[in-house]
Amino acid sequence: MRFPVRARPGRFLLGLLLVAGPLLIALLGPLVAGEPGPRAASFTLGGGHGAGADFVGRDVWRQVLLGGRTVVLTALSATALAYAVALPLGLTGALTHRRWLEDLLMRPLDVLLAIPSLLLILLVAAVFSPGTVGLALLVALVNIPDAARIVRATAAEAAARPAVEALRMQGESWWRMAVGYVGRSALRTLAADAGTRLTGVLYLVATAAFLGVGVAPDAADWAVMVDRNRTGLFVQPWAVVLPAVLIVALTMGGNLLLDAALTSRGRRPTPLRPLPRPRKEHPA
Amino acid sequence: MTGSGTGGGAGQAARGGDLRAWLVRRLLLGAGQTVAVVLLVFALTEALPGDAAVALAGDQPDPARIAAIREALHLDRPAHERLVAWAAGLLHGDLGTSLTSGRPVATYLANGVGPTVLLAALTVTLLVPLSVGLGVLAARHEGRFVDRLVSSVTLAVYAVPEFALGVLLVTVFALRLGWLPPTAVGFGDDLLAHPAALVLPVLVLLSRPVCSLVRLVRAGMIDALASPYAAQARRYGIAGARVRYAHALPNALAPAAQQLARTIDWLLCGVIVVEALFVIPGLGTVLINAVAERDVPVIQGLAVVFGLTAVVLNLGADLVARRFAPRAGVAA
Repeated sequence: MRFPVRARPGRFLLGLLLVAGPLLIALLGPLVAGEPGPRAASFTLGGGHGAGADFVGRDVWRQVLLGGRTVVLTALSATALAYAVALPLGLTGALTHRRWLEDLLMRPLDVLLAIPSLLLILLVAAVFSPGTVGLALLVALVNIPDAARIVRATAAEAAARPAVEALRMQGESWWRMAVGYVGRSALRTLAADAGTRLTGVLYLVATAAFLGVGVAPDAADWAVMVDRNRTGLFVQPWAVVLPAVLIVALTMGGNLLLDAALTSRGRRPTPLRPLPRPRKEHPA
Repeated sequence: MTGSGTGGGAGQAARGGDLRAWLVRRLLLGAGQTVAVVLLVFALTEALPGDAAVALAGDQPDPARIAAIREALHLDRPAHERLVAWAAGLLHGDLGTSLTSGRPVATYLANGVGPTVLLAALTVTLLVPLSVGLGVLAARHEGRFVDRLVSSVTLAVYAVPEFALGVLLVTVFALRLGWLPPTAVGFGDDLLAHPAALVLPVLVLLSRPVCSLVRLVRAGMIDALASPYAAQARRYGIAGARVRYAHALPNALAPAAQQLARTIDWLLCGVIVVEALFVIPGLGTVLINAVAERDVPVIQGLAVVFGLTAVVLNLGADLVARRFAPRAGVAA
């Protein structure tokens, strides 16, 4: 697998530029949004509202300032949660010498991999009507099988090295071998996977919110704004275009930035990144 | 391309060259996945908190409706009996009846399947030549402007949610320029007669799968062209095009063939979003409406159909990938 090892300053800068705006608005927006003003008529332009009014007459610019935080925080926590489960699962699967234990841990995940992630989310949402926390849990859940597989494959490669054999002969503890050596060797590949997984998770969170999963119908959320304000696209495009542009910039910039950061810092391309992966929400 | 990352115990079997053992394992996995889909979908009604009939009645909790729901779902019978009856019904193509309309679920499927299959077929038809073409183009110009352009654009568009991209395309091409209709409203079921209404939905559906496939084809192609057998073929004086397309491309396609099936997951997600966005009366719209109305039999029927489609296509892709590159040790 040959990947150019040289740095990519252009791609890095472009990614940074794209991602900075939406990220700043998402994280700092709620602090500067201020109190809600008087409502205007639905889908009107002007009248003291810089970007017009939304489907229930709220100020679009204020909604934009408020609407990024849930998207970004839900995606971050879902990714962290998926790894919190996948790491011990995959490491145990890779390091155990009991074949039945490995099969017991990993085989059910193979079975789950075939079920489309959005379908699973919609199914559960139909029964439980989850909130924001529920959505984060769900998105984490659908990411666990693939993340655990990557952890297992990466750790299995590191665990097969002679160094682990030496540690074992020296009588080192399981913890020291699993976390101290194997975990540390796998860190780079897993960091790359976590990065790509984050963009995939961001995609899922936004798409689920667009379809009405895990959000109130009038929530201040970029994806919900796009959905609810679509009916007024022809009279008041800003209420749709602003949040859509922010989502596009965030996901595009995030991917470019990650790719540039991971290829330029690496001495050697990670063996796992370019391989086809069974789960589909992240770059191959 | 090594098989190290594809994981799964079947890697060893594949490396041993034992095709039959691999095939048996892969088919077993497929069967396991089928059972898992059916069980998972059934477990949904069991997972409803409290009395399922009361929970499903939701906003209209009058006793007659609750009784009707209980009757329709056979909630008075024990769970295992219901599972057996439901699974047996599935085998005969009987998917139950809708809670809200009382119509058979099969009619919902029959009504929605046309637009969805049309969208999916158009997308896949365009997807394969487009991504192979772009991938080979980028690989031939590795490191030069064309490659950098293709790589950057595919990387950037890759993770963009369909709804955001779609809504921006609608704003530009329907609102500003007025070239294309913004939605499929008013065209009825016969979308093929109105190709203009299909341009934006197909374009949006293509966006993510094309990006991932182009990147895979490009990486595989660069790898294959640098391999000893490609060098050997060149030394024999075989024309460059023949080395590229007859020798290198099949090997480059193995990972892409697998990804093509994994793309089905994206297409299923994408179809749901695109149908919602462009108001196309397909299976995705039926599913979203059923989810909104908590119409459990319809959700179950659609989920089984979607889930089994994904299982079968994944199986097919693994077989195809194995055919292209038997040494790669396709995961099972």
